[in-house]
Amino acid sequence: MYVARASGLHQLHPLTKVLTALCLLIAGLTLPGNWTSYCITLLIVFPLSAWGKVFPNLLHIVWIVSLPFAISVLLIQSLFWGAGTPIFEFWLFAPKVEGARYALISLGKIILVMSSFLLFSLTTRPDALMIALKQAGMPSSIAYIIVTTLQIVPSFQRKGATILDAQRSRGLETEGNLWVRARALVPIVLPLALGSLMEVEERAIAIEARAFNSHKAETSLIEIPDTQFQKNFRTVTLVAMPLLMIFGILWRL
Amino acid sequence: MAFINIQNLTYQYPTSKAPVLKNINLQIEQGEFVAIVGPNGAGKSTLCYALSGFVPHFFKGELSGSIEVAGRQSSQSTLSEWVLNVGLAFQNPFNQISGAKYTVFEEVAFGLENMGVPRTEMQVRVEAALQLTGIADLAQRSPYSLSGGQQQRVALTSILVMRPKLLVLDEPTSQLDPIGAREVFNTIRNMAKDGTTIVLVEHKVEWIANFADRVVALKAGQVLLEGKPSEALTSDLLAEQGFGLSRYTSTAREAKKQGLWKKDTLPVTLDEAVEGFKQ
Repeated sequence: MYVARASGLHQLHPLTKVLTALCLLIAGLTLPGNWTSYCITLLIVFPLSAWGKVFPNLLHIVWIVSLPFAISVLLIQSLFWGAGTPIFEFWLFAPKVEGARYALISLGKIILVMSSFLLFSLTTRPDALMIALKQAGMPSSIAYIIVTTLQIVPSFQRKGATILDAQRSRGLETEGNLWVRARALVPIVLPLALGSLMEVEERAIAIEARAFNSHKAETSLIEIPDTQFQKNFRTVTLVAMPLLMIFGILWRL
Repeated sequence: MAFINIQNLTYQYPTSKAPVLKNINLQIEQGEFVAIVGPNGAGKSTLCYALSGFVPHFFKGELSGSIEVAGRQSSQSTLSEWVLNVGLAFQNPFNQISGAKYTVFEEVAFGLENMGVPRTEMQVRVEAALQLTGIADLAQRSPYSLSGGQQQRVALTSILVMRPKLLVLDEPTSQLDPIGAREVFNTIRNMAKDGTTIVLVEHKVEWIANFADRVVALKAGQVLLEGKPSEALTSDLLAEQGFGLSRYTSTAREAKKQGLWKKDTLPVTLDEAVEGFKQ
């Protein structure tokens, strides 16, 4: 997912970006106010992504992923909301203002989660993250799993598209009403999941063959620049995150 | 004492009902290029895993006999120690990409990082390995943006850069087109010239005839025959078994029956066949 750009955000230490994204996420989900998550997304995450020169990329992914979700949440919440003020009435349908409002609040939180994650992943090289995590004391195997999990999304998309084409060529109907689409999921998801499980063994052998579990002290090809300011900033975020959570819980009591 | 010494090797996977390798005895000298041929299920890949330490360290199962490489017994080493001397590359290039690196240069350096090689030495070794395998121009590309042949060469380079004493290759060209296969074979030839001992499992017998010093034929987990490529790959025994013959050997064998092939020896490659039929 990483997008190479010459920007200040790209130059930041990976852990600074991880902790910033987490901190923004926690702030958006815990601070009082129904529209806080929108404010954080619009006033902090989007400007930061513009600074990182990845704003169009971020917006594109957020739009593509959240649109179907937004439509379904809006429809379900507004149509099936109990008592409330109808927006309009047509035959059996009477969508409620309160339901639509609740759906928009939920959507704001989802957009914040997505855009915080994207802000970090679009501007952070996976190998730099892995090295940073290991330098922070995380075991190599866990750092590797985290990084390859982030990397696996595009790979999954490619494989999914190949399986989809293969099944279509054998006559599988993938377009039509909801029932037809739901039925098509099984012959697509099953080979994708099973194929991925089989790949795990080969990948384990491949990295083992490259001394992954060697007991020697690891070195790294690339150097990750860090500054005292960033170290202090990370300490502040680490303190701020639990405080934000405690504040959010106390506020709701 | 041979560089690789396999004595009475018998192995059974935890999930298999019978041994996959049966009483294998094999000696390979340092710097030798040995090709393994055999039908599906002959135990070729298992033998590769045994040489590279994954049998039994990774797959577990029951193993008897011994595998010795460069004076060290597999049973007395851990897998992490063993892989420092023995490199393994296999069929699917995509699954050999670590997934944790952004460029080919960094991908190739992955093993060296794990081995704790200092940064300056790492850069020198990666550059040299990329030159040897002819992929220096791909250094700054993403490993995922490459073709299958290019990815396979990256996988080979990633092992080569670790400077293994033995390189085990399990059908490294099986998923490649002829151009990709040629690229990979040229890379292997360069490694062999460099003095690396090579064990290669391969079905492309014409290529084997051009590159290998010796051929070992396996069937049902046992060594059927071994010898020089020109002799082993034209033997009656392989012809009876129906594998390991090139189309040129089969054609010349039929021609010989009808008196159209005059030479005493049968061809393996196109050039040998052309020369023989001219006579």
